[in-house]
Amino acid sequence: MSKFAFNSISEAFTMQSLNGQNHGFYVWSVLAIVFFTLLITFLVYKYKLKKISKKIK
Amino acid sequence: MIKKFIHQFASPKTYLFQVTRAYPYIFVTSILIYIISIFWGLFLTPEDFVQGNSYRIIYLHVPASFISQALYGGMAIASAIFLIWKVKLSAYLVKSIAPIGAMTTFIALISGSIWGIPTWGTWWAWDARIVSTLILFIMYLGLISLHDSFANYEKADKFLAVLVLVGSVNIPIIKMSVEWWSTLHQSASITISDKPTIDPSMLYPLFGSMIGFTGIVVCLVILSSKLHIFVREKNKSWIKDYV
Amino acid sequence: MKIFYFEFLKLRKKSRGWIGPILVFVLIMTAFPLTVEFLNEDLDQAFFSVLWIALMLVMMLATEDIFLEDYNDGSLEQLALKNQSLALILGTKIFIYWMLIGVPISIIGSFYGFGITRSFDLGLNILPILLVTSYIFLNVFSFGNALSLTKGSVLGTLITMPLVLPLLVVLGKVVISINIGLNYFGFLVLLLGILSIIIVVIPLIISFIIRAHLE
Repeated sequence: MSKFAFNSISEAFTMQSLNGQNHGFYVWSVLAIVFFTLLITFLVYKYKLKKISKKIK
Repeated sequence: MIKKFIHQFASPKTYLFQVTRAYPYIFVTSILIYIISIFWGLFLTPEDFVQGNSYRIIYLHVPASFISQALYGGMAIASAIFLIWKVKLSAYLVKSIAPIGAMTTFIALISGSIWGIPTWGTWWAWDARIVSTLILFIMYLGLISLHDSFANYEKADKFLAVLVLVGSVNIPIIKMSVEWWSTLHQSASITISDKPTIDPSMLYPLFGSMIGFTGIVVCLVILSSKLHIFVREKNKSWIKDYV
Repeated sequence: MKIFYFEFLKLRKKSRGWIGPILVFVLIMTAFPLTVEFLNEDLDQAFFSVLWIALMLVMMLATEDIFLEDYNDGSLEQLALKNQSLALILGTKIFIYWMLIGVPISIIGSFYGFGITRSFDLGLNILPILLVTSYIFLNVFSFGNALSLTKGSVLGTLITMPLVLPLLVVLGKVVISINIGLNYFGFLVLLLGILSIIIVVIPLIISFIIRAHLE
């Protein structure tokens, strides 16, 4: 583990690289897609399990 | 004793009881490991000299890509077990893993496309590994639609197992495509035989995110298999007692 | 020998089953130059890609009801009950389809190749590749149709397209080799290797699938 790669929250948000480009949009959008995909999948399965459990009861 | 331990899992009832007990522990542990690794990768690792900060997508893309292929390998093994030994649970697992595999392949494709924009200047390239991953995604969709199109579950299980085994030739093609064809895609940084080409400060969170993501996918497979067992065994008396 | 003769007569009688795909292939290859500028010097660059895609689509069309009619009228069940190996019978059936559809299409395709590229050598050299590839396509699409026997051909197409796409990647490398002027004998050997495995394995798998359908 080492020190933080960014000095402030806004820097972490934009993630500006040495070449001057802002890569924050790409990184955060991928993180959002991964998070929401996993969340939706979990919720869908929980809902389907609940429905079929009711049916079986 | 080991044989007895393994054999008991051939029963959907035992499997269901055991995974339900293990599920909370696996879920909490994997979520913790994943979150810590992602945080470590996003905020505590230094910038890459060539790719800048966009390389941090590696902690999201690589686990998904690895798992999508590993899940297909798992399906192939389960299909072989089902066809040879007629273990019912294997058939249930093959059916349950397919949607999760499609989801992880989808994540791999989307994250890879977005990563391609700052790295290669394009979100898509007709490159060997990218196309092979797209083929894998279409295969997962084909597997799901094949099983769902048959009302007779026994027939559907057999056909699904056969198709999984025939389609498993695609996995080595994806794995080796990076060496066989000159490609835009980065070659493997972590191999079994050689030292990793990635710096240790970036490697450890990558391992952590792979372990964490694997755990999360295992939890999803447990939920999916639970659902499928409920559907298939709903007329059995033990299910009513369980629920 | 008897099976061979019987299946050959069956397909030959069903003229729409084998003439239809050949005509569709001719139509696609004739229509292709009409959709680009007629005097385009670079026509041959795109030609080979269109040739492989047309071959793939026509083989898909040819195997649409390869087993369906026999399944519906019960002759597939009779074949399964015979003393002879069902895999051998099915392999013979696929071979006959290749003889009556794949071989003529390959010859026509190489003629088109000669016509568009104006190189006799090239037209002759792609003939073995067409022959081998058409047989591979026939086997793979027959597998897909066996799986989706009672569910329509669209499902069969969906599940076998991913298996065929890596083959198209190899054919794409053949196109690049042709355009650069390299020797593509190695690709032909690779395709022959793939065919040698498929020709044995696919009829076995299809016979298993058909027995499962008949249960």
